[in-house]
Amino acid sequence: MTRLDATRALAQRLGPAAAIASLGHPAYDLYAAGDRPENFYTWGSMGVASSIGLGLAMAQPERQVVVLDGDGSLLMNLGSLATVAVVAPPNLTIVVWDNGEYGTTGGQPTATARGADLARAAAAMGIQHTATATALDALGAAIDAALAEPGPWLILAKVKESAPVAKPPLDCVFIKHRFMVALGSPESAMSGTSVRA
Amino acid sequence: MHIPPWAREVADGLVESGIREVVYVPDNPLSHLLRALETEHHALRVTIATREEEAFGIAAGLYLGGRRTAVLLQSSGLGNSLNALSSLLVAYQIPTLLVISMRGEEGEWNRAQVPMARTVRPVLAALGIQTFTVESAEAAEATVRRASALAYGTRTATACLLPRRLTTPEPVNGGVE
Repeated sequence: MTRLDATRALAQRLGPAAAIASLGHPAYDLYAAGDRPENFYTWGSMGVASSIGLGLAMAQPERQVVVLDGDGSLLMNLGSLATVAVVAPPNLTIVVWDNGEYGTTGGQPTATARGADLARAAAAMGIQHTATATALDALGAAIDAALAEPGPWLILAKVKESAPVAKPPLDCVFIKHRFMVALGSPESAMSGTSVRA
Repeated sequence: MHIPPWAREVADGLVESGIREVVYVPDNPLSHLLRALETEHHALRVTIATREEEAFGIAAGLYLGGRRTAVLLQSSGLGNSLNALSSLLVAYQIPTLLVISMRGEEGEWNRAQVPMARTVRPVLAALGIQTFTVESAEAAEATVRRASALAYGTRTATACLLPRRLTTPEPVNGGVE
């Protein structure tokens, strides 16, 4: 399965879940698969998507939070797996698009192309629910399980690199405001300030 | 165990500002502040991160979901934070209160702490992150509260610096900790 096919399979299952996309191709594909206010596209901060997802899952425990990460990005922030395991938010799912390469920067090989296994890394750090999917039906089943059963989950999806077909909005502050309003965040730009009588 | 007054006052300032989440990477002086938070402010959730950049990612997610967060770090850890600070917090206008325990300034005995400490103020200034130094226990609560007001009112990351003259006024063990 290509990453775009896999992202489409994920997007159609998101429902009201918030989605945090790592920069570059994971964010581009999420936008192409279905733009919605509940999508938060990062344009930088490589490696940090799973940490953003962790914080959001802590802040809104009633909402499902899905992170769309890449193998190269997660390798940059492996400590995040340990923190996710310790905090253990039941509403967090980290999906790792593992194509074995730094796809956004020209296809340089990542360590997963040489055998590094990020699902086993997650399990070793204490994340109890992990799954590895190499085909669309298995990926869909894993996502359905993750959204239905308490996590945290890490789903490793073995994907083929695919050329991006679209890019999300460039305005970071717009992305933030739209996302926070959709989530009903009390800190959103739609919130006024109370005045003491 | 004794909690120094500056630590109690900084903790009070955080709570008074509506901050309910603390994400941190540990440091010796910060241990006093963490103890003050854990013993006196149970409404506040404290989360330890493995690295400072991760801490800022968690803080960003908490803010997006509506929770005000302080990130506690040592000056050396600012160097581990810069991409998340610049391309996430600054670019997306995500406010966070940084509480930075300064090593490498007057009273320092460890040469390795000095170079990064010298970059803290100019690097934060270059990112548009204002810094306010907590000069005394008496000024601590107000300094933190006013820095938080700036951060959350104007949606900008803002830093409070805790100098060694505040946190470690007398050299410990002849200056070696």
